[in-house]
Amino acid sequence: MKLLGKLLWAAVALAAAFCLGGIALYRGEHIDSIWLVVAAVCAYSTGYRFYGKFLAARVLGLNDQRATPAERLRDGQDFEPTNPWILFGHHFAAIAGPGPLVGPVLAAQFGYLPGTLWIVIGAVLGGAVQDFIILFASMRRDGKSLGQMTREEIGRTGGLAALVTVLLIMIVMLSVMALVVVNALKGSPWGTFTIAATMPIAIFMGLYLRYARPGRVLECSAIGFALVMAAIFMGRYVAQSPNLAPWFTLSAMVLAGAIIVYGFLASALPVWLLLAPRGYLSTFIKLGVMAMLGVGILLVRPQLQLPPFTRFVDGTGPIFAGKVFPFCFITIACGAISGFHSLISSGTTPKMIAKEGHAWPVGYGAMLLESFVAIMAMIAACTLQPGVYFAVNSPPGIVGATPAAATATISAWGFPVSAGDMSNLAREAGEKTLFARTGGAPSLALGMARIFAPAGSGPAVIGFWYHFAIMFEALFILTIIDAGTRVGRFMLQDTLGQVWKPLGRTGWMPGVIAASAAIVAAWGCFLVQGVRDPLGGINSLWPLYGISNQLLAAVALCVATTILLKMHRLKYVWITCAPLAWVVATTFTAAWQKIFSAQPAVGFLAQAAHLETALRAGTAGDAVATRALIFNARLDAVVCGVLLLLVGAILVDSMRVWIGILGGRGDSSVRESPFVLSTLRVEEL
Amino acid sequence: MSRLGRLGRLALALLRELADESAYQRRLKLHGLKGSPEEWRRFTEERYRSRSTQPKCC
Repeated sequence: MKLLGKLLWAAVALAAAFCLGGIALYRGEHIDSIWLVVAAVCAYSTGYRFYGKFLAARVLGLNDQRATPAERLRDGQDFEPTNPWILFGHHFAAIAGPGPLVGPVLAAQFGYLPGTLWIVIGAVLGGAVQDFIILFASMRRDGKSLGQMTREEIGRTGGLAALVTVLLIMIVMLSVMALVVVNALKGSPWGTFTIAATMPIAIFMGLYLRYARPGRVLECSAIGFALVMAAIFMGRYVAQSPNLAPWFTLSAMVLAGAIIVYGFLASALPVWLLLAPRGYLSTFIKLGVMAMLGVGILLVRPQLQLPPFTRFVDGTGPIFAGKVFPFCFITIACGAISGFHSLISSGTTPKMIAKEGHAWPVGYGAMLLESFVAIMAMIAACTLQPGVYFAVNSPPGIVGATPAAATATISAWGFPVSAGDMSNLAREAGEKTLFARTGGAPSLALGMARIFAPAGSGPAVIGFWYHFAIMFEALFILTIIDAGTRVGRFMLQDTLGQVWKPLGRTGWMPGVIAASAAIVAAWGCFLVQGVRDPLGGINSLWPLYGISNQLLAAVALCVATTILLKMHRLKYVWITCAPLAWVVATTFTAAWQKIFSAQPAVGFLAQAAHLETALRAGTAGDAVATRALIFNARLDAVVCGVLLLLVGAILVDSMRVWIGILGGRGDSSVRESPFVLSTLRVEEL
Repeated sequence: MSRLGRLGRLALALLRELADESAYQRRLKLHGLKGSPEEWRRFTEERYRSRSTQPKCC
């Protein structure tokens, strides 16, 4: 590296250290969001340039002379060498979901600092490393999936445990995402109308693509986008209409029922009719809004209103209970390290890499960009007044059911807010109330609306942007629900087909209906539980989702460690063992506390015991509902325990393999596809 | 071509890839076919079958 280059990179690294130190040590009134942006961008750049390059060159030995599966197995469909920039965008679109947007908003209850540091450090040293190594491993193994690699590298027990873990994680994830949508839309005719309108719009798009203009997906998506924008405009009039508004003013339970029915229909209907057009539309809107948010933050440079730490680092938080360690680190999964990414990194992407060297920007770089999305979400949430943030995100079971009670409780915590402030804010946003809108989506939408709407905008503009943000979040969460239900159905049919062959046939309608109903019932059960929960549901379901997602990261890091051991023995094993140890420490501690903590707000079993005592003493309000809550708390404890056991089994199995490799008794052969000289020229792409 | 023009072409290529339009064109080229409603249906049925077994990330 030339002297000028060295000086430049030293300046970037110093800027990262200065800004990170600045946000960690500054204790003034408010901090400009640009500090977070510069800290994150400089840390990512340094991590990418040095750590990423070290992994690419020294550890993994990426070799552009070696033909990739995309070149060797080229079929024009799944296996196709792709321009690295296009593949970067494709991979980013696949990994970026609602997780990096919602997780940081919820974790902001600890203040902006713990979450921000975890997002930046976790991504550079953990998340990006996991994504990159799994992508590399899959690329060197003809695009094999994580499950296949777990089976091959660790053993059959590990492979089976990974399969069950993925299914369980999907069920928990679908329920918690559905709960976020329910909490964003309950009692909101404007939001509900907009989202309801996306269904006929998607069906119109499906029919247009199938019969009117086959193959014109971009043209069709542009029409779909224009119709969705029109629906947002019309939503205001629907909400103000005395005749129409009641049709779209739905309770949480009715919305939950509607989403459950939607999930079932989307799983059973032909993909081209609803799922595919919604998927296209959601992907384009998602990428566009993320870019808009980035530009908006740079232009507006909002000040962070939340402090670096709040009193809730002690575990008494209203949004979810539990101390900053371990709960901050499982609340923010996507954005720092997400096990789910390993499924994408061993899915479509490895089959599209043209040259091995492209795995560095695609695997490592795309994760850093997703991490930056999480930083933007943290900024958007922290630009709200702390009192407003807690009033929107706290459940009535904690702060009180009336505006007066809620504002009094929150103000007593040291975050002043009045019922009048909240009423004005709700009017600006075009909502009846913004109290107890748990789940993170409404507070993120408020923050985004503040950034998007020019200063001094009236209610019409703020209301439009608030509902635009709600539409954006709900739309792509619903695409995850419909796609996830369908994937769950395939996985279940695949398993049931081993028992009775017809059940495995994806075209046999009774099998399709039975498997779809089973998957929908599984996540629907958790969704209804979340809706009924007086603590808002997020308190129990989001940690369960975070734990399960990061347990999957532990599985991926076990596979990555095994591969590094086979390649280099102990020399580079710290690269995956350090994040693995951290992820195991946080998830196992969190899972243990969620099951066995003596505090009813934290531990599922303590919560069940507390409710049972109330039931016996006759102090529980509704006996039937309380019995359901007791059952749910125990079910959550069982799910958490099963996940712990499964990942514990994979860990033990992995350690057995590692000891075998190091002792010379185990199979230490690297199971890569044979070397074939590449003849592909990058200019062809 | 100017840098802005190249960036625009790259963005359009990304959108076409995300929209499966590029994959459809590759398929037509690979098999020497002409685009038609029937061919698009066959393509999407295969495409969606393989894609719908892969989860979307959270």
